[in-house]
Amino acid sequence: MNSNNESILKKYYKKRKTETILMITVILYCTLVGIVNPDFLSFESVFDILRSLTGIAIVSMGLLMVLISGGIDVSFMAVAISSAYASITLLLYLGIDSLWLAFIFAGVIGILLGMFNGLVIHFFKLPTLIATLATQSIIHGVLTTVVGTSSITASRMPYAISKFGSALLWEIESPDDYIYGPSVFMIPLIIIIGVTWYILNKTLLGRSIYAMGSNQVSAYRAGINLLKIRLFIYSYMGMTAAIMGILSACDVRWINPITMVGEELFILAAVVIGGAKLTGGSGTVLGVILGVSIISILNNTLVFLGLTASWNNFFIGLIILISVCFSYYTQMKRKKASLNFN
Amino acid sequence: MNNRDSSRRVLISLLIIVFVVLGFCLGGEFFSVQNLQSMAFQIPEFTFLALAMAISMLSGGIDLSIVANANLGGIFGALLLTNGDLKASLGVATLCIIAVSVTLLVTSLAGMLNGILVTVFAVPPILATLGSMMFFSGIGMAITDGEGIVGFPDGFLSLGLTTLYGLPLIFVIGIIFFIVIDIIIMGTAYGKSLYLYGENSVTSMFSGIRNNKILVISYVISGFCAGMCSVIMLLRLNSARVGYGDSYLLQAILVSVLGGIDPFGGKGRIFNVLIGIVILQVLQSAFTIFGFTPYAKKLIWGTMLLMVMIIHFVSNYLGEKRRVKNLLAKE
Repeated sequence: MNSNNESILKKYYKKRKTETILMITVILYCTLVGIVNPDFLSFESVFDILRSLTGIAIVSMGLLMVLISGGIDVSFMAVAISSAYASITLLLYLGIDSLWLAFIFAGVIGILLGMFNGLVIHFFKLPTLIATLATQSIIHGVLTTVVGTSSITASRMPYAISKFGSALLWEIESPDDYIYGPSVFMIPLIIIIGVTWYILNKTLLGRSIYAMGSNQVSAYRAGINLLKIRLFIYSYMGMTAAIMGILSACDVRWINPITMVGEELFILAAVVIGGAKLTGGSGTVLGVILGVSIISILNNTLVFLGLTASWNNFFIGLIILISVCFSYYTQMKRKKASLNFN
Repeated sequence: MNNRDSSRRVLISLLIIVFVVLGFCLGGEFFSVQNLQSMAFQIPEFTFLALAMAISMLSGGIDLSIVANANLGGIFGALLLTNGDLKASLGVATLCIIAVSVTLLVTSLAGMLNGILVTVFAVPPILATLGSMMFFSGIGMAITDGEGIVGFPDGFLSLGLTTLYGLPLIFVIGIIFFIVIDIIIMGTAYGKSLYLYGENSVTSMFSGIRNNKILVISYVISGFCAGMCSVIMLLRLNSARVGYGDSYLLQAILVSVLGGIDPFGGKGRIFNVLIGIVILQVLQSAFTIFGFTPYAKKLIWGTMLLMVMIIHFVSNYLGEKRRVKNLLAKE
């Protein structure tokens, strides 16, 4: 009965503590940057940041699922670059110029590589971090030694892909004849976010993923097929990675097998800041979107504050440490209060 | 007991196979004094990283920050070593001692930070060390802007080239250090507690072990090992930079797993890790002679890591099956 008296905001805060804190942080930080450098608070820079966070946001949706299920994946960047590079190479070889086929080829390769991860982790009961660290080296190693390390430059890039990279949803003309607007990258971004949200919140599959992350044994006893769930999670991860790979190729109109790998940690950081717990069973789409926003806003705005890019890692590391300390400390307090020592 | 010995037998036979096969393939080129000595120069820095990783794995955690930590310590040491004013006022010998101590202090403190995150704040080791890895490399980047610090005094560098009876000094230090750590882990009450903690932290807590203390000490040792590695990197490379030796992280995990350290904690022997290190170094220098690209090496390390883990899983599974069968037969 007491809860009826509380305001809606307070109820929301209780239910979604992490998200509320993150949202306040984002708003405060943006205001700070806006005060120091008014140029930041323009539509132009908002669209710029949105465009730059598309890839990270998409792949972080896949990673969110992996983390909810109680695992971790560090191989997705290798999957992203491998599927994108292989798919574009295939398109060039076949002489087809189609954006759809690029996405489909890459998606299939990504799903297969993800399934490989899932199978290895499931059947040999390996710790997911070390297993995916190994598969990362294997996938990237196969790409660089078998397919090659030569880059595909803008001149050879299929036209459909370069065109997609610079297309805008609608055009806005600024006073000084400069055309800008939201990028078409918004479409895949919104689709993936919507699909992930729907799967996690409205389907049996999503509930099973949460159940598996909270307690694998109970989930198994409750009749959940762990193999099927794992295969789905890791192929979804692979697919989102592949989409990200193609989008990145569209964005910079250039692709090289030795790029991207090694950037996993930023994305992992974004998802973790967003409140997904490594111990499984928790994490929300909204939280991850906010986490991604924090990371990419920070990456893009340190320059506005007069700091060099060298400070990026420092601040991101600091934010991760603070956010994980906060969330795991409260979890531990709660567990101790209920005499759970695990 | 039996299990432990079988793991070592497998490793030693693997080592012999590797030696024999490479001896056939490469012959004299491989067993030349020059090649063996160059291996002895390369082993130490890697030994310390592997030790750091193995200790954190024994507790059931993992320390992903070792390489970043080593680089951070190296940068502090290098800043002191390249400081002309200090060199003039203190003399080279004193400066070297101070620089080395500062390096070790910085990395030990960084290890302690990891330990505090894992114990006081109950952050899972993967996340804690991942965050601190970014944080440490961030500090390094902020200090150096990503550039290398070069130009150490000659007196310092000559330490890295010193040999005792043909063996490099750093190799001897590495081996002595390894034995000391092995004794600490295998022979003291602290080591036993660490194993117990890795096996089951709740049980160890209820049997009166101070979990937090044990864990913080293990991360400090891990940080100290990273510091030793960073001193050796300073000696050998004459420079310090963020991002040096990133590929060592995968190899350190590989060597620990290869040496039979269970990533879930509480199982494995430190000495076996040394055999793993030798195998890896032998393969490494063979690949260099073969002229493999870094990518091919990465592929091979990754495949090996996966294979070793699968073999461990299968052999554990079969062993368990046999044990159950024997138990049933007894009844």
